[in-house]
Amino acid sequence: MIRYVVKRLLFAIPTLLAVLTIVFVIVRIVPGDPAQTILGDQASQEALENLRRRLGVDKPIAVQYIDFMQGALLGNWGESMVTGRPVLTEVWAVLPHTVDLTVAAILLGALIGVPLGTWSALHRNAPIDYATRIVSLLGLSFPAFVSGILLLLAFAIELRWFPVISAGKLDNPVDRVRNLVLPAINLGIIMAAYVTRVTRSSMLEVLGEDYIRTARAKGVPNRAVVWRHSLRNALIPVVTVVGLYLGILIGNSVLTEIVFNRPGLGKLIVSALNQRDYTMLQGLMVVYAFLIVVVNLVTDLTYGFIDPRVKHG
Amino acid sequence: MNRMLFGALALGAALAAHPVLAQKTVLNIGMASADAGKLDPHLSATTPDKALFNFMFNGLVRFKPGSMNPETIEPDLAEKWTSSEDGKTWNFSIRRGVQCHHNYGEITSADIVYSLQRAADPKRSGFSSDFKDFDKVEAVDANTVRITLKNAVPSLLGLLTNYHGGNIVCKKAAEEMGENFVKKPIGTGPFMFGQYAPKESVTLVAHKGYFRGAPKLERIVYRYIPSDASRDLAYTSGEIDMLYGKGEQVWVERMRKLDNTIVDVFEPAEMAVLYLNTKMKPLDDIRVRQALGHALNINEVVQFKGAAVARAAKSVVPIGYLGFTDDVPLLKHDPARAKALLAEAGYPNGLTVKAIHTSLPGMLSTIQVVQQQWRRSGINLDLEIVEHATFHAEIRKDKSAIVQYQAARFPIADTYLTQFFHSSAIVGTPTAVTNFTHCNDADAEIVAARSEPDPVKQKALWKTAQQKLMTKVCALPIYENMLVWARRANFDFGIKLEGSLNLGPVVNELSHFK
Repeated sequence: MIRYVVKRLLFAIPTLLAVLTIVFVIVRIVPGDPAQTILGDQASQEALENLRRRLGVDKPIAVQYIDFMQGALLGNWGESMVTGRPVLTEVWAVLPHTVDLTVAAILLGALIGVPLGTWSALHRNAPIDYATRIVSLLGLSFPAFVSGILLLLAFAIELRWFPVISAGKLDNPVDRVRNLVLPAINLGIIMAAYVTRVTRSSMLEVLGEDYIRTARAKGVPNRAVVWRHSLRNALIPVVTVVGLYLGILIGNSVLTEIVFNRPGLGKLIVSALNQRDYTMLQGLMVVYAFLIVVVNLVTDLTYGFIDPRVKHG
Repeated sequence: MNRMLFGALALGAALAAHPVLAQKTVLNIGMASADAGKLDPHLSATTPDKALFNFMFNGLVRFKPGSMNPETIEPDLAEKWTSSEDGKTWNFSIRRGVQCHHNYGEITSADIVYSLQRAADPKRSGFSSDFKDFDKVEAVDANTVRITLKNAVPSLLGLLTNYHGGNIVCKKAAEEMGENFVKKPIGTGPFMFGQYAPKESVTLVAHKGYFRGAPKLERIVYRYIPSDASRDLAYTSGEIDMLYGKGEQVWVERMRKLDNTIVDVFEPAEMAVLYLNTKMKPLDDIRVRQALGHALNINEVVQFKGAAVARAAKSVVPIGYLGFTDDVPLLKHDPARAKALLAEAGYPNGLTVKAIHTSLPGMLSTIQVVQQQWRRSGINLDLEIVEHATFHAEIRKDKSAIVQYQAARFPIADTYLTQFFHSSAIVGTPTAVTNFTHCNDADAEIVAARSEPDPVKQKALWKTAQQKLMTKVCALPIYENMLVWARRANFDFGIKLEGSLNLGPVVNELSHFK
């Protein structure tokens, strides 16, 4: 098991190096000038050139690449070109907010999606099944910024239960949870819709298997058939989807972060892109790539817990 | 009984937590931005940062708070000043007892000299070109600063206001912190830097030792809320007391209907202009440029934007700038004349003009209205819409035949004329700024006006420059969009807000909740 984890992490190194290179090239291909963004449109050419020199973006691309790779490998991610603060400090400052939101959304999605999908599969083609399918479709197709605004109107403006500005202090657990509820629901709705649909189809497939028919013929109680024989087998595709979606969720949370005014990686990456903050973008991409690698690894390890037949070696 | 006690405690806690009821000395501001930029007044020129610097820094002189009329400039860190007859030597007496933030000591001539030299240094400042006519800045004694100019400049006092390079930073702090100054900017203004929370806010605290008296507000929390809808909702829920508004009629009307709310519409207006590349086909033919002008219906654009926030532009210099004139040949809306001119220029069946344009919604909607207007006269405006930073990069490479640009500048004609119409500012050249038109017809007048000591003759030169540029149809002015903010009616600025060059409302030692 440990050998497997170490092997997977070693495999991640070339992936991360490839990501670093791709990101380095992409951010420089996109037109735009960080110096112009910082100094504004009235800056003289001399001032712009001086700032480009200070930022190091006037050097040949190859030199910039070597500098960047050296820094990255030594753990020096540099400073944000725009704010002048270390990239790692900025990432660390917002990471807990992203982790909170992502974990809460995943939990919410799983807690709603798995029972709902199972229930829907068990009542195939009954009105409840149709209702679940329609609701989950709505959940998937509803833009996050619209559902976000609706949640704010209902719970922050009308009922005044939660704040509109969800950026709170992390050291106050009550504030932290209060600020998390609406954004987590907003993101969790989408997650729940996904999980519901995947659980339903996976359950339907398993429920049609011979061993389920055999179990029923043997007189195994329905509860045991559903929980022990069906759901456990149906969960592998669900975990795969959750794992895949977790990666997407970290990126997709940007709309939720903007609407609820929450700091987070998504918001950080969008503003870095708008401002052509190369160093920040590079650092963020590596963090993303690393998170995806870790999420995939955790997903693979989870298979073993759900299905003992899956061995890691 | 226990239930009642619990209820009373919960109510008390809720009231204490409610920002409007509990924080009467804390001003929460909602700004349309994702984050702060480089918090150094000599580096950043973005609207969100400039509005913040306004609360933290002084200049040697200042505009009368709430005004941006150069004729209202009054003492700030300098108590008084004198100038030589030729306008090239200026002596400023520095106010005594002015304290820098966070115990960085008293301001002396050394700080002023350091700060102005820093602002003039392209390695440390984005505004160095504003100081190109400075020969020397020296400390005569601990409280006297002498500025010697190579050439007289149109408004030296304007350069020394608390705007851009005129913001005075404290020497000891800037030297001690170096590049880290952006993390804790130190000035002398009524509010000083407190805390920065990435992607959330900057908190300023009252500078109790402020030389005009301790501010009535304890704190300003400047929150970054990029979503327009969320900013409005945060205001409705009471989490913010003042917010940056969308420069749209609908927004103004909606906010005015809210209880306990005042909408402030103030200068400077950003002028939207279509800059025509006179060296690029087919716009190198003046008849085509005239056709574009006649096909444009400015009043329709103003109607579209809304009279509460927009007004028709009248020249290539914004209304109200020192030297502005409306005595210029502005092309009247006349689609028939536009078609005739096109036919005369060899385009009887109309023509297609390509332009690179930003995806920023406010600017995009304007160009789309223009696009429709031009279509009626047989002009097809083929837009390549790109993201805003790409737009800025591409137009500076001289790639677009037409550039729509919106800007507000220091309110004298020289800044606009120099940056947008002087040959030294032509894009793609080593001294480029924002001359997208390639026009150089008014170079002589622009240069002569800069050093003209007689204000009447100076204004005459600026007028001739504007007339020449308009006659050659280098650009088509469209409209001017005012700044719009909203606030609680019980929040009093302590001054009358008519204008603010730093693009944000003036919050100073007098501002308070009633």
